[in-house]
Amino acid sequence: MAVQVHVTSVIRNAVGGQRKVSADGGSVREVLADIEAKYPGFKAQVMDEQGQLHRFVNIYLNDEDIRYLQGADTILSDGDEMSILPALAGG
Amino acid sequence: MLKIPRAIVEEMVAHAREAMPNEACGMVHAQGGVPFEVHRVKNIAGDEKSGSPFRYEMDPMQQLRLEAQRDETGETLFAIYHSHVGSEARPSPTDERQAFFPPGEFDRDPAYPNTFYILVSLASEPPEVRAWRVLKRTSPDETRPVVIEEPIERARWWPQWPWRCWMRRWTGRLRHR
Ligand SMILES: [Zn+2]
Repeated sequence: MAVQVHVTSVIRNAVGGQRKVSADGGSVREVLADIEAKYPGFKAQVMDEQGQLHRFVNIYLNDEDIRYLQGADTILSDGDEMSILPALAGG
Repeated sequence: MLKIPRAIVEEMVAHAREAMPNEACGMVHAQGGVPFEVHRVKNIAGDEKSGSPFRYEMDPMQQLRLEAQRDETGETLFAIYHSHVGSEARPSPTDERQAFFPPGEFDRDPAYPNTFYILVSLASEPPEVRAWRVLKRTSPDETRPVVIEEPIERARWWPQWPWRCWMRRWTGRLRHR
């Protein structure tokens, strides 16, 4: 399954400065692993060693937060668009 | 002095008042370094994802769209603004942590190195509006990043103001209605 992944400015340097990368995988987790294979060190920006998504990172599949789908195990369809965004937050 | 058009300062204050009792948040875009447009962003902090008086978190989809707009137009992220409903217009400890990615990594460059943080405080009347830069700490012994205030000058207008860009935006918007 080929998907497009938008990467916001804050973590672009983890993927060689690109705004968008193509990746393969049947689930969000597999896509992240595929990006990690091309850009070592990328995955640590997004999830911890146990494979849990960092609290301060949001991943959207098309227009939905994957936390409200099946998280990293969310199944992808061809042509899906994924977006990775650090939370912009404060107090 | 940080020159900001009066209308932009007033728009941020208006947003802060309308968002009461919750915090307001948003982005100020610049063209050629001149701040020219305020984008209100939905605050999705809180259990109901509908805002909080103590925290803000920008709607990620809006965040994404605004970034796409900047990439397309060459506009830049001049400032990230938010309001404090009961405290001073300076970055809170949470704001300082969140200026870094991952949060609290004060030895790295900030997440948005060329962007100001503008705070609107509704604790006083008239509301206070102040701009700050948050930079990486100077030594590992420091427990906080470097936080510098940039005094704001509320400009009525000035020659470099991107009128054309602004006009194009507005006429474009009217056409899309
Ligand atoms: Zn704050």
